[in-house]
Order: sequence, then C-alpha cells, then structure tokens
Amino acid sequence: MEGFLFWFCGSLMVLGGLMTVIQRNAIISAVWLIFAFVCAAGIFALLSAPFLAIMQILVYAGAIMVLFLFVIMMLQGPVLEVERHRLRGWFWPAVALPPAAVILMIIGWLRSNELQPLGDAAGPGFGTVEAVASLLLGRYLLAFELISVVLLVAIIGALAVGKGERKLPWK
Amino acid sequence: MHSDATEILLRWIVLVPLLGAATNGLLNRRLPRQVSGLLACAAVGLSFALSVVVFLRLTGMPAAERFVSDTLATWISFGNIRIDLAFSMDPLSAVMALIVTGVGFLIHVYSLGYMAHDDGFQRFFTYMNLFIFAMMTLVLGENLVMLFVGWEGVGLCSYLLISFWFSDEANAAAGKKAFVVNRIGDFGFLLGIFLIGATLLPLLGAEQNVLSFRTLQAHAGLLGPAATAICLLLFLGAAGKSAQIPLYIWLPDAMAGPTPVSALIHAATMVTAGVYMVARMNFLYVLSPTAMAVVAAVGVATALFASTIAVTQNDIKKVLAYSTVSQLGYMMLACGVGAFAAGIFHVMTHAFFKALLFLGSGSVIHAMSNEQDMRVMGGLKNKLPVTYWTFLIGTIAIAGVFPLAGFFSKDEILWKAFSSDGGGVLPWALGFFAAGLTAFYMARLVVLTFFDENRASPEVQSHIHESPATMTLPLVVLAILSVIGGWIGWPHFMGGANHFEQWLEPVFAVGHGAAAHGAHEVASAHGAAAAHGAHDTRMEWILAGASLLWGLVGLTLGWFVYLRRTSVADGFRTMGGGFVHRVLLNKYYVDEAYEATVIRPGYRLSRTVLWKGVDAGIIDGLLVNGSALVVAIIGSVLRIFQNGMVRYYAWAFTIGVTVFVLYLSFSG
Amino acid sequence: MEITLTHYLILAAVLFLIGMVGFVVRRNAIVMLMCVELMLCSTNIVFAAFSRLHGDGGGHVFVLMNFAVAAAEAAIGLALLVEIYRRRRTVNVDDLKALME
Repeated sequence: MEGFLFWFCGSLMVLGGLMTVIQRNAIISAVWLIFAFVCAAGIFALLSAPFLAIMQILVYAGAIMVLFLFVIMMLQGPVLEVERHRLRGWFWPAVALPPAAVILMIIGWLRSNELQPLGDAAGPGFGTVEAVASLLLGRYLLAFELISVVLLVAIIGALAVGKGERKLPWK
Repeated sequence: MHSDATEILLRWIVLVPLLGAATNGLLNRRLPRQVSGLLACAAVGLSFALSVVVFLRLTGMPAAERFVSDTLATWISFGNIRIDLAFSMDPLSAVMALIVTGVGFLIHVYSLGYMAHDDGFQRFFTYMNLFIFAMMTLVLGENLVMLFVGWEGVGLCSYLLISFWFSDEANAAAGKKAFVVNRIGDFGFLLGIFLIGATLLPLLGAEQNVLSFRTLQAHAGLLGPAATAICLLLFLGAAGKSAQIPLYIWLPDAMAGPTPVSALIHAATMVTAGVYMVARMNFLYVLSPTAMAVVAAVGVATALFASTIAVTQNDIKKVLAYSTVSQLGYMMLACGVGAFAAGIFHVMTHAFFKALLFLGSGSVIHAMSNEQDMRVMGGLKNKLPVTYWTFLIGTIAIAGVFPLAGFFSKDEILWKAFSSDGGGVLPWALGFFAAGLTAFYMARLVVLTFFDENRASPEVQSHIHESPATMTLPLVVLAILSVIGGWIGWPHFMGGANHFEQWLEPVFAVGHGAAAHGAHEVASAHGAAAAHGAHDTRMEWILAGASLLWGLVGLTLGWFVYLRRTSVADGFRTMGGGFVHRVLLNKYYVDEAYEATVIRPGYRLSRTVLWKGVDAGIIDGLLVNGSALVVAIIGSVLRIFQNGMVRYYAWAFTIGVTVFVLYLSFSG
Repeated sequence: MEITLTHYLILAAVLFLIGMVGFVVRRNAIVMLMCVELMLCSTNIVFAAFSRLHGDGGGHVFVLMNFAVAAAEAAIGLALLVEIYRRRRTVNVDDLKALME
C-alpha cells in the first residue's frame, strides 16, 4: 500500500514540478505548483507526518501560492506574455550540466550502496499535533520565538517595499 | 684613518669651494653681486692659502716622505675592494693644487670685472666654485676613483660653463659637444680602471684600497703584462680631457663660453688634467714603452697639427684655443718620452702665460664691444696699455724667449725629446718646427690686434677703453709670473739647480726605477750630467740656442709679414689656388669628417633602431601599450562574467553548488 | 517493494534539480520565485524522511521553520517584484540588466 502511494504521489509531484517549470503561462505554472504541493502533502502523510501534511496545504498551497496568484493577477499584462529568447547557444547544454552530474552521481551511488530502510524508530504518536507542539513549545522554544521575529521582519519589509510612493501610516 | 692638524686641511681645500658654490647656487639672486663675487673669490683664495700651508709642511719633510693624506670615510667596501673618500698631497699634487687655486683665484678676481654686467653673475660664480671643487678633488684624490670623480666633475662644470649663455643654441651645442667627446675619452678611462682592478685584484687577495695610488705604485710590477692595454685606455681618457688627436675637436668650440672660463678651464687647469693623470700613473707608463711611444707620437703630432691651424684663424680666441691644443701636445710629448717633470713644468708655465693671454684677449673683447674677429681689430696698443704690455709679455713667454717662463719649460721638453731613450731627432724636429709656428702665429695675433690702425666701425671705436682694475690686476700678476715662473726650473746645464725637477723627483724616480730600462735609467737619472759628460751639456746649449733663435725668428717673421709686408700673407693665402689656406682655415675639415663618418651614421642608427625600433616599438608598443592591452583583454574576458543577466548568475550558483556537493560526497 | 529512505531522498533530489533548472531557465521573475519554493519543498521532504528514520520530532519542527522562512521570502520577494514592476513595467529578468558591466 505504502509503495503504491509513494509512487503515485511521488510521480505526480514530479509531474507537477515539471509542468511548473515548463509552462509558459505564469498562472498555469502557479496552479501546477499548487498541485505539486498537494502531492507533497501526500508524501508527508506517508512519512508519518500528518501535522506537516496539513500545514503544507494550509500554509504553502493555501497562503503562499495564493499570494503568488494575487501578485500574478495584479501584474496582469506582461506577466502572461511569451518570454523572449536572448541567450547564447551554449547556455542550454551548460544548464544541463549540473543536473546531469548529480544524476550520474546518484546512479553511481545506487550501484555501490545498499538502500537504507526507514525502520521502526518512529513510535506511535510520532508526527501528531501534540508531538510537534510539545517540541515546538518545549525544546525548540527559542527557535519558535525567533521564527516569529523573522516573520515580523518579513511583514515590515514587505510593507516598506510594497508601499511605493504612498506614505506609510506611521510616517 | 688618523688626520692631524695639517692633514685635515686637505679636505677643506676641496670643500671650501664647494661651500662657496652651494651658497651662491642656493641664494643666487638674493645675494647682492658684491657679496656673491667676494664670497666666490674668498673661497678660492682660502683654498689657495690652505694649499700653501700644506705645501709648506711638505717642504719641511724629508724628500722621500713627502706625503700627507686625509681620509674622510670609506666610500665603497665589498669583497676585498675598498675605496676611500680620501685626499692626499705629495709633491706633484702640491704643484697642481697651487696652480689651480692660485691661477683660479686670479681668474675669479678678473671675472668680477668681466662678468659685472651679466645677468647670470651669481650662477657664473656658482659654477666656477664648483669647478674648483671638482678640480681639487681630481688633483688631491688619493686614489684613481677619486680622481675619476673629479674628472667627471670638471667635465660637468666645463659643460655648464661653456653653455653659460645657453639661450644661443650654438653655445649649447658647443657644451654638448665638449661633454660628449669627453665621454668618449671617459669610456676608455673607465675601461682602464676596470682593467687595473681586474688584473690586480686576483693577485692581491686580501689587500684593500686597491686603487689607491700608493698601492698601485707599490704593486706596479704585477700590472706589467697588462700595462700597455691599461695605459692606452687611460690615455684615451687623457686625450679626451687634454684635447689630443683625435678628441681635441671640442676645445675650439668651447670658446663659446665666457673668456674667464676659457682661461681657467680650457687653458690653465682642466685640460691639464690628462697630463696630470699620465704623470700620476708614470710608474705604469714606464712599464710599457709602446704606450709611451704612442703618447709621445700623439703629443707631438697634436702640437704640430694644431699650430698649423692656428696660423690661419681669424677669431682671437680660436687662435688661443688651437695654441692650447698645441701646447698640450708638448706636455704629452714630454710625458711620452719619460720627462714627466718637464711636462708638469710646462703645465705650470703654460698656466701662467696662457691664462694671461686669454684674460688679455677678454680685455680686448670687452673693449671692442664683444668683437672677436681680429680682422676688425688693430691699433689697440695705445688705447689699452696695460692689456697690451701684459699680452706682449705673454706672447714672448709662449714663444719661448729667454729668460721668460716659456723658454725654460719648452726648451726642457725639446731637449728631453731629443735626448731621452724614448725620443730622437724626429720628435725633436717636429716639436721644434711647431715652436716656430707658435711664435709666428702669436706675433700675428699681437700685430693684428694691437698694431696698425683700428679697423672697426666708428661706434665700436668710441667705446674702446682700458679694463677696470679688477681685470688688469690679475693680468699684471700673471705677467710677472710669466716672467719669473720659469726660474724655478733653471736647468743644470745653465748652472741652475732645477729645483722644480728636484721637487718632483720622489714622485717620478720610483717609476724610473721599475722601468724596463732598469738600472741604466737609475744611473743616468742623477749621474746624467757627469756620466755622459760634456757631450750632453754642449748639445743642450746648442739646442737651447737654436730654440731661442728660432723663437725670435718666428716672432720677427710674424711681425714683419703682418705689419710691414702684408702682401706676403696675401700671397700665402692664395697659394695653390687658395687650397692650402682653405684647408687650414677649415681645420683640415676634421669636424666635417667626423660629422660624415661618425655623427650622421650614429644619428641614423639612433633614429631608426633605437628610437623607432626600441623606444617606440618595444618599450612603448610592447611594454607600455602591450601591458595595457593585456589588462584590457583580461578585462574584456572577465566582463563576460559581469553581464548583469540574472539567469547567468543563477546558473553560476548552480554550478558552484554542484561542484561543492560533488566534492563533499566524494571526499566524505 | 519496500519504500526506503533512499527513495524519498532521490525524490527530493529530483524535485530539487527540477527547481534548480527551472530557476535558471525561466525569465519570469515570479516563476523563478515559484521554483525556489519548489526547491524549499524538496528540502522539507528530506527533513521529514530523516525525522522518520530517527524517530526525532525535531525534523518536523525544522520543517515548520522552513515554512515560515519560505513564506517570508515569498512575501518580500513578491513585494520587491511589485515595486520593480511599478518602475520598470516588466518582470522579465532579461530586462533587469542594470548591473551589467
């Protein structure tokens, strides 16, 4: 069962990613990315991380991608235009180099090494909301607080950059 | 390095004129003329006084030990070579020092009057003092390198002073010519020094202070095999500085400088530096009869050659210039036949009467509103009495008439040329003939300048006046010296003791002792009169009488031809269709020959190879522009990485990350 | 077939590569940002997989941090893009060549 789900979600996600990259139309690219994120949620679920799966959909697909869509909609005209080709001939083969290298490396590794099973280290209650919460507010409290600072900075930054010529309310 | 009371004066003899030059040079126009001139004269005068003091100290020492030295510091020291900043005085350099500072002082005083109206008054005295400094370094130098430093220094000052009025391009060109021709000589000089060092150093091992004259003299024997080469190279330098064939060409041109300069540098002192150097290195020259023969031959040839040219020249200073070249030839002849003392004797007497003649001509030029062509002179005898009488004395002296100074020195040279082993009838005969020519052209000069009627324009004539005391006084002093200066060398055969030769004997006797002529020469040096007996003395009397007579003949002939029967002169001028006269007047076209064979090819070579090829091509093109081009190329290559394309940068990132990951995974 | 850790890792690697290539290839700045999101997502998968392997919930916590960072980055990036668009009327990175030599 797990295997089938893995291959199912995995391949769909890869498809989503590919379509994201390939699509000319930015909106369609965004939609494919949402699709890929949903499949990612599936992967998380397979990895005994239900909380993560839900958060993935809520935050990533639900918030971030919506933001993307908002922006795309806002910058209407040129966003949806066909892109112009301007780079030299050597670019495309050059681009393929790193992926090719990595893939070759992976293949090489696979040949000489054993696959490592996931094992049973994850007990019951692993990956549940309670488990994550107790860690988040327990052991990783500092990180939690700090990440909220990061978000605060992001908010202020986005506001400051995005206001344009209009005056900010507190200026 | 101990210096006691008198020795320490040596450095001051040299340095006081330097201080004078520095003061005048730095303060220049801020210094009022009287102060400037006085300062310069005082500097030289002080130098002279100190020289006298040290000289007197030398006289108080036993003859064989007459040597004082003053070492300031070790200048160069590496390996087993040590060259000191040191001065020394022995009988020879004492004579030279007295001449240079003494006559130099008189000429400085003269210049106060001569240069009184000149714009560059202070600059003039700066250079003059600088010259005295350099000349004293040359003369008092304790080793060959110090001599060479002074040598170069006087060359520089000569250049500065010849081109003193440099706004006229001809003057600048003359200065340049002097410097360049001297440089050629210096090249030989340097090679000679190097050869000495190269020959001597391996043999001396740990010996230091190699180039000191004392060291060289002590080890002269070791230089034996290379002696000829060394001496000829050194002589090349002497030929340049002392205007011998083939490097005399700069001296007539050097007359472009102010007359005091011509008197001091190109008559009395600098040009004698070559003679001094040869005399200094006498211990080496006597080891090479070949070199001596060359020196003598060049000397006598120059003496004759220059005097033939002097006969036809119309510029008063040019006549004196060629006369100087000729007299320097006599000095070289003396050294070449081994009569070094006679050569130095002639240096001294020549300094007296030649300086006198030049200063006198300066007085004439001054009176004639800067006219130098004798053809428009004349009748100045009554208008410039002091100048005339002193000039006449100088002329009689140079003609070698007894009992004036020139007789003793020139006669001794001719005698030695005849009698010594290196000489013979031929050198004597050539020198003898040239002496007659000397008297002749000097008489011609006097007649054209002072006798008959003045041939200048009325305007010039109205300005003719005798020179001020500051100019006439040195003339008088020099005239007195021209009369009595020779008596110090009153020869043996005439009953005198020849104090001059005795004084210089310690310097030259050693050389004689080491000569190839060996014991023969040692015996003959002192016992000459007794050993060779009456035969020599009689010959001396005959030759002396002949010289005297011949000199008088020359003077009379000159007076006669140019005053009474000018038709003879005209006849000579048109002889052979004017060919002979033209050749002599144009100085045998030597300058033109040099121009065609050396100068123009050299110029062409410089232009095409060195200028266009090396300078423009290699240095400018390859190195300067080339390096800029390389930088530009590198820049344009690197510019590709800065194209502002975000995607390109992103790709660079990915490459970097991939490389990093691969590295990690393969090294881990 | 058993799904091993390696499977997840290879999946993540593939996704990362896709995102990387996409980032380099696309000219639309917004799509480039989306590719960045994809890369971030692939790292999330790696964290989750290892977290499962070791039974350590810390990996999940880190994934949450990752979410936050991704969100922040997307927000500011898009804000910048909007501003650029306002000034230059384009989001085509080929047109944004002001840093060119």
